[in-house]
Formats: sequence, C-alpha cells, structure tokens
Amino acid sequence: MTKYIFDWGIIRDNFGALMNGLKITLYIAFAGLTIALILGLIVALMRLSRSRTASWIAGSFTQLMRGIPLLVLLYWIYYGVAAELNLNFSPFSAGAIALGLTGSAYMAEVYRGGLNAVDPGQREAALAMGLRRSQAFAAVIFPQAVRIIIPPTVNVFVGLLKGATIVSVIGVTDMLYVAQVVSLRTFTPFELYSAAGVVLVAITVAIAGFSWSLECHLGRGGNRV
Amino acid sequence: MSKSANFDLKPVFDSFGLLMHGFGLAMYIAAVSIILAVALGIIVALMRLSSFAPARWLAFAYTQLFRGLALYVLIIWVYFGLAVALNINLAPITAGIVTLALLNSGYLSETFRSGILAVDRGQVEAATAIGLSKAQIFRSVVGPQALRKIAPATGNQFVDAIKDSAILSVIGVPELMHETQRLAQYYFRPFEFYTFAGALYFLAVLGVSYLFRILERKLSNKTVESKRFFSFQTSQIPNN
Amino acid sequence: MQNRKPSILEVRNISKSFGTTKVLDGVDLNIHEGEVVVVIGPSGSGKSTLLRCINFIAAPDSGSIWFENSEWKTPKSKRNPIALRQHERELAGMRAEIGMVFQHFNVFPHLTACQNVTLGLRKVVHLSKADAEAKAHDYLNRVGLAEKFHEYPEHLSGGQKQRVAIARALALEPKVMLFDEATSALDPELISGVLEEMRKLALAGMTMVVVTHEMRFAFQVAHRVVFMDQGRIIEQGPPEQFRNPQEPRTRAFLNAILE
Repeated sequence: MTKYIFDWGIIRDNFGALMNGLKITLYIAFAGLTIALILGLIVALMRLSRSRTASWIAGSFTQLMRGIPLLVLLYWIYYGVAAELNLNFSPFSAGAIALGLTGSAYMAEVYRGGLNAVDPGQREAALAMGLRRSQAFAAVIFPQAVRIIIPPTVNVFVGLLKGATIVSVIGVTDMLYVAQVVSLRTFTPFELYSAAGVVLVAITVAIAGFSWSLECHLGRGGNRV
Repeated sequence: MSKSANFDLKPVFDSFGLLMHGFGLAMYIAAVSIILAVALGIIVALMRLSSFAPARWLAFAYTQLFRGLALYVLIIWVYFGLAVALNINLAPITAGIVTLALLNSGYLSETFRSGILAVDRGQVEAATAIGLSKAQIFRSVVGPQALRKIAPATGNQFVDAIKDSAILSVIGVPELMHETQRLAQYYFRPFEFYTFAGALYFLAVLGVSYLFRILERKLSNKTVESKRFFSFQTSQIPNN
Repeated sequence: MQNRKPSILEVRNISKSFGTTKVLDGVDLNIHEGEVVVVIGPSGSGKSTLLRCINFIAAPDSGSIWFENSEWKTPKSKRNPIALRQHERELAGMRAEIGMVFQHFNVFPHLTACQNVTLGLRKVVHLSKADAEAKAHDYLNRVGLAEKFHEYPEHLSGGQKQRVAIARALALEPKVMLFDEATSALDPELISGVLEEMRKLALAGMTMVVVTHEMRFAFQVAHRVVFMDQGRIIEQGPPEQFRNPQEPRTRAFLNAILE
C-alpha cells in the first residue's frame, strides 16, 4: 500500500474560495441570529404573557424547535414546505430560516432567564412609584436584563455557527461545500477538512475569549442594590 | 414543478417498517455513543481536576477541541479524511458512534467537572475530619451529590445525540434521516415524510426527557414538582 | 398626641393567604391625615403584607382599600383583559399618590441617583427634563445627598441608597408614605441617618405608615402604635398606652423585645 502524501498546499491553492465560503457561513449564521433575536423575544413575551393560550403556543413552539434535528427542519423547509405550498426557497434562505427558527427557541429561554434574573424588588419599586407595567418593563427591567442576557446569547450564536455547517447539504456554497467539491476532485479530504476544522475551532475559541472579557466588563451596575 | 395533490400519508404508512428500522438504529447509535461519552467524560473530568499539570492541560485541550467542532465537519473528517490519509477505514456506523462519543464527551466532561466542584468544600472537610479516605469521600459524599447535578445535563446530551444522529445520514448510515430522504425522493412526498420524521424525533426526545425526569426524581430526596413534566430540563444552549 | 384630622386611607377587612397560610385575617385600619402609624409585631404577623396590600403591590384576597374617594379591590375575574388593563391604569394613578420605601431599597442600579428620582417625575407626573432634574436636585438635597447626584447606586452606602429611595418616593409628593422595615437591612451605624429622615418627615406633617423593629423610634415618633400578631390587629393606641399594654400577647412581645 503506497503511503499517503499529505498535500497541504491544496489549502493554499484554494484559499480564496475557502474564505469566500467562510463568509457565507458567517452570513448565514448572522442571518439566523437576527431572526432568532427578534422571533425569540416575541416568543419569550408570549410565554410570559397572562394569556394562557399565548403562553401555551410559545411553550409548544419552543419544545418543538428544541426537539427536532436541524437537518430535518432544513429538509422539511427546503423540500417539504416548498413542494407542499409550491414555493421556491433559495438554499441560503431555507438555511437562514431553519437556523432562525431553532435559534429563536433557545433565545426565548435566554430572554426568559434574563428577565427572571432581575431582582423582583425592582419591579415592585417601579410599580409602587406609579409606573405602568409597560413603563416598568422598558425603563427598569429590560435594561438590567440585557446585561445578563449577552453571554448566553453569544453561546446561542456559537451554536448557530456550528449548525450552519450542515447547510451545504442543500447546496449553500459555504466553506464546507468548497471543501467537498475540491476534495472530490483532488482526493484530499483530510487536508481540507482539517483546515475547516481548525478554522471552526479557532473561531469558537476566539468567540469564547471575547465573551469572557465581555462578562468581565459587564460586571458594573447590574448587581443587586 | 406542479403542485402534487393534497396531503397523502399512505406512502409513509407503506414504508413504516423501513422508517422504524432507521429510527431504531438512530436510537441505538445515540445510546451507545452516550454511554461511551459518559465513560470518556468521567476520565477527562478527573484528568482536568488532577494535580498533575500535563494531564490538566491535555484534558483542557480535549474539551476545547471537541466543544468547538461541529459534528458535520468531524464526521466527514473521520470517515473520509482518515480513510484517505491514514488508511483507517471505519464502517459508517462505527465512525458515527465514535465521533458522537468524542464530541459529547467534551461537553459531558465539563458538566461532570463543574458538578464535582459544585459540591460544598465544607462537606469534604467534614468527611476528612471523620477519617474517611479520599476514595471513600468520593464514593459516599461527593459522588452522590454530584450525580444529582449531572443527571439532567446527561439527559440533555442524550437528547442532543438523538438529534445529531440525523447528520450521520451524510455518510450513508441507514438511520431514520437517511431512509426518510431516500423514501421522500422515491415517492415524491417530501412534506409528508419529513413531517413524519420530525414527529418521530420529537416523540423520542420527549420520551427520553420524561425518563430522565423520573431518574432525577428518584435521585433527589425532596419531591420535585411535576407540573412541567413534558418539557426539557434546562435552558441548554445548542451544542451540535 | 391625639389626631383629630379626617381619615385619608382606610383598610377595610383585608384578608390574604399565601397558599394555605392565612397571613392577614380581616384587618381594619383607619389612617388619618398627618398621622404617623407605626406597626409592630413578631415576624410572620403580616405587618409587611398589610403594607403591601395598601398600594396593591400584593393583591388582597378580599376586602378593600378606601383612598381618595375610591374603593380599591382586587378584581374578581382575571380573564377580562380590557377590564384588567383599566384597573392597572387606575392603580398606577393611585400609587403615584402613595410612596413606598422598601427594606431592600430597590434603587435602580442602572440609573444614577438623579435618574432614579427623575424617572417617576418624567413618566408618571410628566414633568419636562429640566423641571424633573430641578426637583430631583431639591429632594436629594433634602435627604443630604446633593453631592451624590450623578453617582450610581453601587458607589453608595446602604444608608445612602435608602435615602435615594426616600427622595425618589417623596419627589412624587404623595399623600401617604409607606415604610416597610426601611432600616432592617442596614448596618447599625447607618440606621440613625435614615431614621432621622423619617423623623423629619413626620414632624413636617406627612401621613406615614411605618413597619419597623426600631422600638425607640416607634414610641418617639408615632401618633399611634399598632400591634399585630398572626394576621390580626391585637391592640392599638397612643404610645403611652403601650407602657402598660392591655393584651397579654402585646405584653409578651414587648417584654421579649425590650429585654
């Protein structure tokens, strides 16, 4: 059996394409995050609302999104819904929507946790002053919740980034798609996927470090008084 | 493409056996990989907590690595990459189980570590004062308490493993997702098939969460309120 | 010192339970204009809950509060969203006339001392920014915190935080001030500062309902002392009356405290 010759130059040769692919991966993860941030807040507010129906719908949505694999959701949207409703999703939008839907379930939990973590006495003091519930929320509770919410939100983003790695299966031309195409041509999956793995881990570690320093910075002003 | 006629579940029911076979395989893969992950996780956690510095560093690198990787990247690297480069030819299922075990062990080791650390130091001091040995302390004092904190997280990882097993379809493992894809294309009924697959995964996840809830109850001595029985435990952030 | 002014707030047969525990059992209390009513009693007697029922921070299960020519009750049905919204809007208005100071201060940590005070002035009384800040200056000055105007609460001592809370409540110029164990969470050396503010308020004629453990303060400043135990008012009257209490439970409590 001939010994395999590692061809690390293949990475250099295709560096541009790989980086473009990486950009697409980041775009789709950010698109998913945007959807998740907005939809997640809506779901969280529904969950906390006094209407039992709204709360139940929000709760079921969260459970559903957390109980289904991302890949299934992706195919369901891109192939299933498209066929049933006679729509045409671009691979990128299907991917972004799928990421946004799962992400929103996790963000809803993050929002809820953050809001609950604010000292209940704050709400009482705000109400006792004569502020209405909406005013109390906007001026007192939410500002304090935001500080608590940022680190777990970063975690959700990392999760979305990792989830975004599978979108190449429906044809999004991300970094892994490029790796796949090139390695099929040149039989160098080891080198290419090693590179992809290294890039991924590097980004994750960088984000983790960033989040850690963010947490240190945000210590101010959020403690109980 | 013209709109196919309305919702038709008949092809799904016709393929029920095949789909169930895939489902069973998925559950099998998840279970085996979690068991392996727990074993690996404990080892790595203990290494992280040891007084031997190189062991600590190695364990730290291990957890950072496997918590940063995505399953999709790792599985292709293991199945295709290793095969081409190092002539390591694993069967798809084996590759799948090994990869899932490695990835989940990263998260589990962190959970185990923080669960062990979370046990009050005062307990250890009191136990030492009585004259118990380190092993005895771990077995009778630290272990049981850490276990209570660890059970829900392990349940979450098992749930994640069930969901992650779907990704193994890309390397040809004939589990639920792979079969669903094949059949959806064959019958031109993607909506029905993918909805069914989604429902199956969802029920599996609910079932496993329910079982772990019971386990948690058994482990704790106070009554746990069972109002939210059919829900997932913690607000675990996705780590697939 | 008798108080012959008209009653401005009435607690009418208020009851409240938390789960199976009955915390308030048919409490009646009339507060007169300018009167300082101090409520004492053992823990669990319901004194804090009573205070919180007055401005509906805690909603009573039954009974009502009479204030400003209106009777305030907890709505029976929680279903009708329009009625609930209306009720809340009205409650907000009522709460603007009643100020509350909490045991754990509850100053807003993300706002400066000034902003803590101006928040209510701008959102509830709808003053302009300039007017609100002028008023905030005035009230913070009155509680001796003029130079802490732009400080965040984390840089203030407990006593200073509580004084910000007092200024915040006073700035809305309420008719009644409620103090819920305002000094219980303070370090001993900071207690007298806050008590002094409360004393000044009382002397200026503010109607106050004070829940406290500070017996000396209670007997010095109160027009009327109310002793509660197990959700009921056992005895009430001018401070002199408590030198020789009529009820045995009152006697037992005072003996234990004044040891």
